[in-house]
Amino acid sequence: MADDTDTKTPEPTEATPGSFQRGIMRLPVRTIILSVLSIVLLIFIVWGTSRTLSLEVSTFSGDGWKRLISDGVARGAIYALIAMGYTLVYGILFMINFAHGEVFMSGAFTAFFMARWLDQTGFLNESPVISLLILFAVSMTVSTTIAVVLERVAYRPLRGAPRLVPLITAIGASLFLQNTFRGFYGASAEAYPTIDILAGSIEILGWPMRKIQLVVVLAAGALMLGLFLFIRKTKTGRAMRAVGEDKEIASLMGIDVDRTIVSTFAIGGLLAGAAGILFVYLFRGGSVNFFMGFFPGIKAFTAAVLGGIGNVVGAGVGGLLLGVLEAVGPFLLLEGFNVPSPNQLQLLISFSILVLVLIFRPGGLLGSADEERA
Amino acid sequence: MAVPATVQRETAPTETSSWLNRSLFTTGAIGGLVVVYLVAVGMVESFQSLNVLTDVLSLGRAMIIISFLVVGYLASRRLQRLGHEAEGPRLAGGIVAGAVAGGVSALVLLFVNLIGVEHVRRMFQSFTVNLVDNVLSFGQGVAFGAIAMVVGGAVLGLAGAGLALLPDRLRRATLTGLGTAIVVSLANTFIVAVFRNLESNFGLDIPLGWLYTGTGLAYSGLVVMLAAGFAVSWWRTRTPPEPEATRVEAMSGERSLLGLVRGRPAKVVGWLALLALLVLMPLIVGQFLSQVINTVGIYVLLGLGLNIVVGFAGLLDLGYVAFFAVGAYATAILTSSASFLGGPFNFWVALPLVVLIAVFSGILIGAPVLRLRGDYLAIVTLGFGEIARVFIASIWLQDYLGGAQGILRIPGPPLFGVNLRDPTNLYYIILAFCLIAAFVAWRLKDSRVGRAWAAMREDETVAEAMGISIINYKLLAFAIGAGVGCLGGAFFAIQVGSVFPNSMDLLVSINALSVIVLGGMGSIPGVVLGAFGLVGLPELLREFEEFRLLIYGAVLVALMILKPEGLLPEVRRRRELHERELEEEQYEGRVGEGAEPVLRAEASEDEEKK
Repeated sequence: MADDTDTKTPEPTEATPGSFQRGIMRLPVRTIILSVLSIVLLIFIVWGTSRTLSLEVSTFSGDGWKRLISDGVARGAIYALIAMGYTLVYGILFMINFAHGEVFMSGAFTAFFMARWLDQTGFLNESPVISLLILFAVSMTVSTTIAVVLERVAYRPLRGAPRLVPLITAIGASLFLQNTFRGFYGASAEAYPTIDILAGSIEILGWPMRKIQLVVVLAAGALMLGLFLFIRKTKTGRAMRAVGEDKEIASLMGIDVDRTIVSTFAIGGLLAGAAGILFVYLFRGGSVNFFMGFFPGIKAFTAAVLGGIGNVVGAGVGGLLLGVLEAVGPFLLLEGFNVPSPNQLQLLISFSILVLVLIFRPGGLLGSADEERA
Repeated sequence: MAVPATVQRETAPTETSSWLNRSLFTTGAIGGLVVVYLVAVGMVESFQSLNVLTDVLSLGRAMIIISFLVVGYLASRRLQRLGHEAEGPRLAGGIVAGAVAGGVSALVLLFVNLIGVEHVRRMFQSFTVNLVDNVLSFGQGVAFGAIAMVVGGAVLGLAGAGLALLPDRLRRATLTGLGTAIVVSLANTFIVAVFRNLESNFGLDIPLGWLYTGTGLAYSGLVVMLAAGFAVSWWRTRTPPEPEATRVEAMSGERSLLGLVRGRPAKVVGWLALLALLVLMPLIVGQFLSQVINTVGIYVLLGLGLNIVVGFAGLLDLGYVAFFAVGAYATAILTSSASFLGGPFNFWVALPLVVLIAVFSGILIGAPVLRLRGDYLAIVTLGFGEIARVFIASIWLQDYLGGAQGILRIPGPPLFGVNLRDPTNLYYIILAFCLIAAFVAWRLKDSRVGRAWAAMREDETVAEAMGISIINYKLLAFAIGAGVGCLGGAFFAIQVGSVFPNSMDLLVSINALSVIVLGGMGSIPGVVLGAFGLVGLPELLREFEEFRLLIYGAVLVALMILKPEGLLPEVRRRRELHERELEEEQYEGRVGEGAEPVLRAEASEDEEKK
């Protein structure tokens, strides 16, 4: 490879390699941009918040803010549940299971048909608790199956491949699953039948919340506690932690690595399936379609990163935090600037958080020793 | 660091078990499930309208047939790996596996019929009465359909097993023949349109009656295409009469399609023909197909840009749509009379500004994320892409970016009174920019910058230790990638004449990524191939449109597992991805034959130098 090719290159920056090295590129571009970015953000946040809070006629009274926070906590609990799937898989395989949003979608979408059938027979409102349990069972079964098949077909052959390869596979798998379910169940959005006992609001210690929000928080809390105990106390849980530390050593210690990885995916699928049912009942209208997994998936990933990916407690904390920020943030920050329809920019909040966390604190809030890896 | 993957392939066991073993049933059952999947996802019925052989075979049924063939083939190969070399058991294994596959599909068919198609349809919308009664049961009742599936499965399994027994060269030629026939039958509308244009523009009246009847191949066409494919493959795989060295050279010359002409008269003629084809393209293919080719061209531009970022520098950017959007919206704002600026510039004045804006945005997006490792980078850039879309669509910025209504009335580029809105004329502009972009990419690849990128891609830490400024080179990759990709957006804006937030979604990034992955990351001819295959083909076959993303997904997964370097791989990239296998091979070679692996390593280095 002769050096003289350089001078012929049509890129202007390439004409004189020496000055390219010494010239403006020498400036600490990254530091400058980062500092400017953080200052601008800080001013924006402080200014926006103070303006919103000092508004004479605010859209929200004290009660209104409380409601927003309840909403945030409930959706945060769901993000946390989905985030477990990302964090567990990342903790073991160090790969982002991009298709996890589709695992979530598959359960909720399939269980819809069960819900519709239960509704038509009238069973759904006769014994709503049993119906909900059935829906959970269906959704969790489907999601778990999809997660396990995904691991077996798409990810297992790629263990130890260069980093980008499994990620591209995951993107492909995500597309494939989305469109598979589109082919199976159709492209239109379907609305879950309502369950009467979940409607309405209650007040707990003077804090207003919708009944379903309470259900979501309790169910998600129970599941996460269960997961935490599972990882801490059971043999499989210990095996998972060992495999996450070092696959080779773990297998030398007699742990079946393949099986442990499968159970990790299965647990992620289980939680995602449960999150699916909670999700459709939390959001009014509760419609499901083949694309429903994408944004919750991204947000859950954000939650996982926010809390420190690979860290189970972190994913829980990150989920809650993200949910609250997302529910309150747009109104708190943007209303003061008279930005019309701030809830349109909800997505912006979560993506901004994702980007900011990764830039400033890639190890996440509960930063594990992982920081170096980022 | 990385744990060596558990090797999937079973090694031949020392003791030979019975040929009738579980692997046959597994293969058959999986094959059956694949058939059920194809039916349930709706492909079989949708492709029923595409004829391979008019009135005899539709693409929908052909897919089922191919599945059974593959089952037989795989079962037979599997038996061979298990140590059954004899022909009898391997053929019988094909029959068993095929019958099992047919049996699984038949069971599902009977089950669907038992529950009632109408009931199944409430959940799996692809099951229609037409599908069950006509497509799968040939209108003879479901029982007949089920029996036909089992028997057909067995027969096709046998055929597949037979294929596995053929010598390599014969099998390849047969498969090429079959493939040619299917492709030509599907390209029906395209070929007919091309020949109609040849007639009206050049006065060449070539009858096609022998090739097509109705919407598929005629028998004569089938025979000719089978023979043609067979012959070409047979000729290409002939044993080389020349010495080894020249053959290697010829092969590597073939790989780099854009490489310089190597002084062979046949090659010169080939390049001239390609040039003539490119120049005459709009005349040959006509208005509608020109538009399709322009879309392909836009994706070639996007692919070339993304290829610099992903293929050369190894930075997986999932938010490439952001640069596409910058290109499209900057063009719209600077040239459209409907924008808030009132369209101060014409396209040619605006273009350098658009590129500058894109390069700047590339640096802006690149700078904060430089320290992130591969997969984090992917997600963050994905976030940036979505942020771009949210901004564009927001009511907040509606006055400047048009909100959901977008920006309309984007004029075509003025050029001596030629109407460049006409796709047949716009084609030349896009072609010119594609060629420029390809040239830039090609020159960059082996330049100092390109080598720095390659080093960075392979190992950042080592590259940094060798004195490569990671930050500068990453920024440079982002900037150049953005500059090339925004051209795709600019031409998109001109082609459509308006820009909307809906066109700026994640799919653009996914399309561009699929394009470069299919062709092979880092490979410039691969981008062209990928754009034609993934963007051009679905535009031509409307029936495919519905399953386009499904196929993309499957292609991405399958490629990553089977051939991560892509279809037209770049040499260095291929070696990177197969590093471990090469090492293993060399290790085995060293154990076996002493000095031989050194020679082999040298040979592959020669190949890389072309």
